[in-house]
Amino acid sequence: MTLAMKTKLLAGAALSAMAVAGPLVAQEEVTITVWSIDGANQVGPSDTFSAEFDEMDNGINVEYRILQFDEIVNETLRAYATGNAPDIVSLDNPDFALFSSRGAFLDITEMAEESDVINAEAYFEGPLNSVSWDGKLYGVGKYTDTIGVFYNKDMFEEAGIENPPQTWAEFEEYARMLAKPDEGVYGATLSARGNEEGTFQFLPVIQMSGGGYDSVNTEGAREWLSMVKGMIDDGVMSQDVLSLGQWDSTGTFNSGNAAMAISGPWEIDRMVEDADFEWGVTLLPTFEEGAERSSALGGFNLGIMSTTEHPEEAFEVLEYFVSQDHRLFPEFGYLPTRGDVELPQSGIEEKDAALAVFQEQLQYAQPRGPHPEWQKISKAIYDAEQAALTGQMTPDEALSQAQSTIDGILN
Amino acid sequence: MRRILSSVTDGRGFDILLVSITMIFLLALSGMPLVYNVVMSFQEVDMFNLNTFSRPYAGLENYREVVSQPEFGLILKNTAFFVFGSIAGQFVLGFALAMFFMMRFPFAATIRGVFLVSWVMPGLVVGALWGWILAGDFGVLNAILKGIGVIDSTMFWKSDPRLSIWAVTIANIWLGLAFNMMLLSVGLAAIPRDLYEAAELDGANGWHRFTTMTLPMMRSTIGAVLALGLIYTLQQFDLFPAITEGGPANSSNVAQYWAWQYSFLLFDFAKGATVSVMMLGFVLIASIVYVWSTRHEVRG
Amino acid sequence: MTRLPVPRLFLALAMVLAAIYLFPLYWMYATSLKGQSEIFANPPTFWPRDPDPSIYPETWERRSMGRFLWNSLVIGTGVTALTVLLGTGCAYVLARYRSAWVDLGLFAILMLQVLPASVMITPLYVGFNQLGLLSYPRTAVILAAAGKAIPFYIVLVRATFMNVPRELEEAALVDGNSRWGAFFFIVLPLARNGILVLAILTFMQAFGEYIYAKSIITTQAYQPASVGLSGFLGPNSTDWNGIMAYAAIYVTPIVAIFVILQRRIVAGLTSGALK
Repeated sequence: MTLAMKTKLLAGAALSAMAVAGPLVAQEEVTITVWSIDGANQVGPSDTFSAEFDEMDNGINVEYRILQFDEIVNETLRAYATGNAPDIVSLDNPDFALFSSRGAFLDITEMAEESDVINAEAYFEGPLNSVSWDGKLYGVGKYTDTIGVFYNKDMFEEAGIENPPQTWAEFEEYARMLAKPDEGVYGATLSARGNEEGTFQFLPVIQMSGGGYDSVNTEGAREWLSMVKGMIDDGVMSQDVLSLGQWDSTGTFNSGNAAMAISGPWEIDRMVEDADFEWGVTLLPTFEEGAERSSALGGFNLGIMSTTEHPEEAFEVLEYFVSQDHRLFPEFGYLPTRGDVELPQSGIEEKDAALAVFQEQLQYAQPRGPHPEWQKISKAIYDAEQAALTGQMTPDEALSQAQSTIDGILN
Repeated sequence: MRRILSSVTDGRGFDILLVSITMIFLLALSGMPLVYNVVMSFQEVDMFNLNTFSRPYAGLENYREVVSQPEFGLILKNTAFFVFGSIAGQFVLGFALAMFFMMRFPFAATIRGVFLVSWVMPGLVVGALWGWILAGDFGVLNAILKGIGVIDSTMFWKSDPRLSIWAVTIANIWLGLAFNMMLLSVGLAAIPRDLYEAAELDGANGWHRFTTMTLPMMRSTIGAVLALGLIYTLQQFDLFPAITEGGPANSSNVAQYWAWQYSFLLFDFAKGATVSVMMLGFVLIASIVYVWSTRHEVRG
Repeated sequence: MTRLPVPRLFLALAMVLAAIYLFPLYWMYATSLKGQSEIFANPPTFWPRDPDPSIYPETWERRSMGRFLWNSLVIGTGVTALTVLLGTGCAYVLARYRSAWVDLGLFAILMLQVLPASVMITPLYVGFNQLGLLSYPRTAVILAAAGKAIPFYIVLVRATFMNVPRELEEAALVDGNSRWGAFFFIVLPLARNGILVLAILTFMQAFGEYIYAKSIITTQAYQPASVGLSGFLGPNSTDWNGIMAYAAIYVTPIVAIFVILQRRIVAGLTSGALK
């Protein structure tokens, strides 16, 4: 997209927002509160857009609050229960159903149908599913992401490996070839942390081996756990993958201490900056060549709480956020949740190549849930992964224990 | 009326007034949450009835489910390890340091003061600091241990299920050391020096003096330190999210963190309350120990 | 018998022990001065290769620490004032008598401590909400944190009162003082040191209060430094030199006050009021 087009779009969006807001100016000011995790470590879309909207002279103020990833759901829950809920909240997509299934989010199906900005049909299926419940629309996707394999091209070249791994067998083989324990270089890194991040990276493995969150004990999952455990035991992978989050884990890749890293597009900007080697991205490996693919569907959604006193004004704020979707990638490195937003080339070769891979990967991305008790299902999954990788249980024991926990939740 | 008034200014009423104001405050701010948790542990709770007391009665169902969780046994064991390990470490090291600094040498009091630093450090900062020190690949503890030849391969303090509970316990011992040492120093200082000198003249050796004089004279201090230590260890929360998050695979999870996970990670408020009510048992023991120890107090 | 070298030996040993004990603190300052890549160096460097103190003003500015620390100060002061006000009298009475009622009181005070703040916060939040206290978030945090601090304060101040000779108070009563008079003019001055020290310690604890503030104070302008710090410690924290610089700015004033006052604190704690 050219600069002129961008400016035009921007101006258009601002104009339309103002046009709707026009008649309200005469009335008293309305304050819309927005809660999100954006802006804690770096500038993000929700904090930026909130501030912009607040600046506009349209009778609507936006009060923005940053929350921690670990806390936003329970803070929202408690605030909702006690009648102090914000007007708009941004949640990780698997957490959304906890609220929408109980009507805690406002049903915006009709408002969206009449809106010029929000068009439900434009959204990708995964993100759309995560904001829908019982055929109704409760929010919109804010941005989306997925995971793939980053690899250090310099190390690959040095070891004489031509192509990045396509199957898990190759992933292990290459990792073992690339690891240099004496120099503090691991063959690969990922995140098997005991929280949602662990499930985020492990569930795709279950899915591509024929399972899903409702049936986790697949042969592929067992094999994969044994493979990773073997790599940890042999020092090919750091044992700290069990406690590192994805961002920290990929940090070791950036500093040249791991040859491959499983992570997502949110890493790209930092990698361009930090990594002093050539790198590339490839799709998440499969079990056999040409076998079923899968990947995680990440990203946040935006919803209006059903307790809001100003549904129309809140919806206007939501519309403004959506109208800025074209800025998500260039300014913040996030992928929009809809297909009708063109992503501009950045001119940085590695970044654009990585983006293309992640866009392809998104086609295989599968949502977690939606299920109102997703957190419990997720805990069963990451607990099983950790129990197997630490050797406290065999993969089969761990996964069948998780399965019985999950069965208890689903039935 | 006047009698009540004069009692308040000059009699029993004065005492009752002083105690009851504080008690009412504590009952409102600590007693109410306690009752609330006990009630919740017998109910079905979700986000819609969080705000009221009238909720469906669940009987002992929450307790049954908590006990039948596969991780229950492990967490019980970890809690015991964490509590007793921390208290033993804090107490023994604290006592040793307190005795050491009672000896007369230059700057003894000044250096002892330095040991109070961990008392004033916010738990969150201590957690971040230790989480960083205990990291596997770039943690400084591993570098030191390797440097002095104690270990030759990296110890994954935060990720090895055999070590993770040690990681949080070590950090907690550091955090609680100041408190233990200081209170024990107070107790030691209260023992008259001439008693020791007399014993020394009688030819009692160091160990004998310690067991027959120091320990008995310190009984009330020790009781207070242990009871408060138990309560504060059971309250220790900040270290867990910062260091191990209870992992890997619950290998460093303890009751207070589990209760938090239930309430704020899984949003099962009833089970969180249930776990916290179970912890009551521990504190009950501590309180009895403390009250018993005050019976041996000598008023100066 | 040569007695001279022994104290020196002890001094050396004491300094070694203090150095080990203070290492985490040193590591905080050292890490804060390192560059991004040096932080993740394996093995770590014990002395920053190229100390960069500019991280301090940068962190102060970027994290608006002035405001955060001010709020910590407000909360710390409030908690301390409330604790001293409510705790002192209660501790005095509990030290004065020896009866089953006193036992019961002590027992109740400890039992009220049973729950960790992390599980008390939900009921407190619900309660404060119904009383409308959530509109005064810092006051609400002060009340909640004082509820946690008072039992601890009572137990320790009570020990100080135990050291005040009963005869002095009785003599004052015989001289025609009222109970109020005896308490305010005889007993309190004698227990002054212990109370002062515990007030300082209460303040320092409240200065680091985190769990209540995090949940109750939703407006950023009123949040204390602990909540500001937790903003760093999210799942995506690699800004370790920033975190450590923040932590250093946060704890250095309290550590400094502490080092300046430590003689007094140690003396106040170790010697009873009169000894």
